[in-house]
Amino acid sequence: MAANPHDQQAINKLLKYKNRREGKPLSIAVSKQAMAEQYVIINQQAQNFYQRFLPGPYTVISQLRVNSQIDQRVASEFGTLGIRIPDYPLMLKLIEHLGHGITATSANASNKKRPYRIKDVLNNISEKQKQLIDLIIDVGQLAKNEPSVVIDTSLSTPLSMRGQLRTNDKFIEFNSQSESETQGLAMRLILKNLNNLKKQGLLFGLSGELGVGKTIFAKGAAKFLKIKEEITSPTYTYLNEYTYQKGTLQGIFYHLDAWKIDQEQEFSLLKVDQLLKANNILLIEWWDKIANFLPDNLKKQAIILDLSGQDNWRKIKLWEKTKK
Amino acid sequence: MGKDKKMILAAKKTILAIDTSCDDTSVAVLEGNRVLANVVASQTAIHQQYGGVFPTLAKQAHQENIEACVQLALQRAGLSNKLKIRDHIDAVAVTVGPGLAPALEVGIKHAKKLAKQWQLPIIAINHIEAHALSPLLSPKTKRQNREIDFPVLALVISGGHSEFILIKQIGNYQRLGWTVDDSAGECLDKVGRMLDLGYPAGAILEKLAKKGNPNLWSLPLAMTSVDNFNLSFSGLKTASSQLINQVKKQKQLDGQTVCDLAATVQQQVFSQIIYKLERILFSPDLSKKVYPKAQLIKKIKQQKTKAAVTDINEIWLGGGVAANITLRTSIRQTLKTYQKLSGKKIKLHLPYHKKFCADNAAMIALTAQFSSEQSKNTNAQLIDRQANLKIGTFCQAC
Repeated sequence: MAANPHDQQAINKLLKYKNRREGKPLSIAVSKQAMAEQYVIINQQAQNFYQRFLPGPYTVISQLRVNSQIDQRVASEFGTLGIRIPDYPLMLKLIEHLGHGITATSANASNKKRPYRIKDVLNNISEKQKQLIDLIIDVGQLAKNEPSVVIDTSLSTPLSMRGQLRTNDKFIEFNSQSESETQGLAMRLILKNLNNLKKQGLLFGLSGELGVGKTIFAKGAAKFLKIKEEITSPTYTYLNEYTYQKGTLQGIFYHLDAWKIDQEQEFSLLKVDQLLKANNILLIEWWDKIANFLPDNLKKQAIILDLSGQDNWRKIKLWEKTKK
Repeated sequence: MGKDKKMILAAKKTILAIDTSCDDTSVAVLEGNRVLANVVASQTAIHQQYGGVFPTLAKQAHQENIEACVQLALQRAGLSNKLKIRDHIDAVAVTVGPGLAPALEVGIKHAKKLAKQWQLPIIAINHIEAHALSPLLSPKTKRQNREIDFPVLALVISGGHSEFILIKQIGNYQRLGWTVDDSAGECLDKVGRMLDLGYPAGAILEKLAKKGNPNLWSLPLAMTSVDNFNLSFSGLKTASSQLINQVKKQKQLDGQTVCDLAATVQQQVFSQIIYKLERILFSPDLSKKVYPKAQLIKKIKQQKTKAAVTDINEIWLGGGVAANITLRTSIRQTLKTYQKLSGKKIKLHLPYHKKFCADNAAMIALTAQFSSEQSKNTNAQLIDRQANLKIGTFCQAC
């Protein structure tokens, strides 16, 4: 679904078409790296991906340029923007002809099946949505390609937001220079797992000594969920709960501090298995102290982070599948 | 000071209030600001074995205790054998937040039940506002009320909260500063736990600190470089943990060393509160949130610059940590210094008894005295728990 990202009216129409996005950002297709550089700041990490994978089915997310002159609603809420260079001559020529990028989101209505021909789209949208489309280019049946792999290069280490980067690493490691990287990681991980959140809820397990930024991470999660209350450490009372509403998404954010918990019997008093359900997020600090008390099905779905460091540097190891 | 700044406590309603915000079940009956009864069922024995408050256990204990607390409060207020409670009590008040959600729920449910049974209005109360107003409580025997000289600066320092609140009038509040991470009480409790002091670690730490030397080690003073009145105790918690580990490596943690460590950490917590209090007092304009720089304060103290005279006429101290004598002494000392430099005398007011520093329902009933007719909610269904309520941002039900 292509729209001119510089044109406010075009973006109005696009967002109306793709309703209920709950903070999922759009991306932009360009014809070459030079054009991408008008929109985003391409760092070394991003440069590597551009060289290795583009043009091709990859979206590379970078920091948005302040003077990019696009409608701000195209960018993510963290001030980043995804860029694609498609490997499809018609698209490239179209972009070249226009002289600027176009939005590169899929044409399916949210939560509907992935379309490979125009009929798939038209059968699944309303009359109102149809009226928003100005031009349809029908090239017949498309090859059944997977959607693009999305890589965020705006943190200290590339983070895949959709699809898998081919890598043998069991975990990825971030070197955080500031609280904003720790918070940014929390926000991106929720965004990445939005579908899981809606289906079964999200479980984060954080370990690391006092003062390495576990509560900072929790604050980042709360920020993403648009929770306005101050997130404070719940050591004394173990478990804090905050209701959140982000767009049409609403649920409860539970912040659990297991620092004082030594025994399974104590942990069972928290009735953790009853907290995790669709739309709820449970974040557990001092994960290593209680991981063994959790039922296997919960343990398996946990996103685990191990924080360390001192003074001005922090290291964050991330396991998206359960650590052994 | 103009007459309009004064307010006489004229409210004379009789109110029964319930507070179940954390680990104590409390029910009180007040006539005006006079405490006729204040019953507290402590859960310390339940939580002692774990060293913290489990929300599920707290909820259960509240459920078991609440009706007995109501009966005892009515009895102590001389109302237990009255046929028509409605003729003797004007309203039921209840804490709706902030606090532990499952615990709050019990009090709210019971308050609704009583209000329905007695056909009385129900008033939703903010727990922090109640702590802020707690110095206005007065004993049953005292008939004379004092005047208040607004604006008042309230310090609420407790296990769950650390806030500076400017009270322009009762009901008109400006949050000047608050903790951005751990509360003062939480920090003291956590350090107490690191030193294996038992439960409640914060209170034990205070006792040990009295016997300790606070000047053997130095810890960093947080939030000195930021231009606001906020507090942060998370860094201190980390620094304390490092210090304790470092000391442990050097020697056995004997009794005296534990006392010295307790004194060091406590002093640092209070230093930060005093540091920000000074900044508030020396601020030339609080309504515009002007934050005086450290250098200005230094010059004022060296008497090279004259101190701006603050609008604040009284300071009220509430919350569990307010019972701490060392903190009280430090605040008094600060006010004395301020008087010397600015010529203005500011008086410190405290709850008349230490028990009203801790969570209690008397302060809830007191706060309800000031709620306007409109805020009395006859549609009790609207009242719900608001676990993370702030002062100034008022409950939806009010």
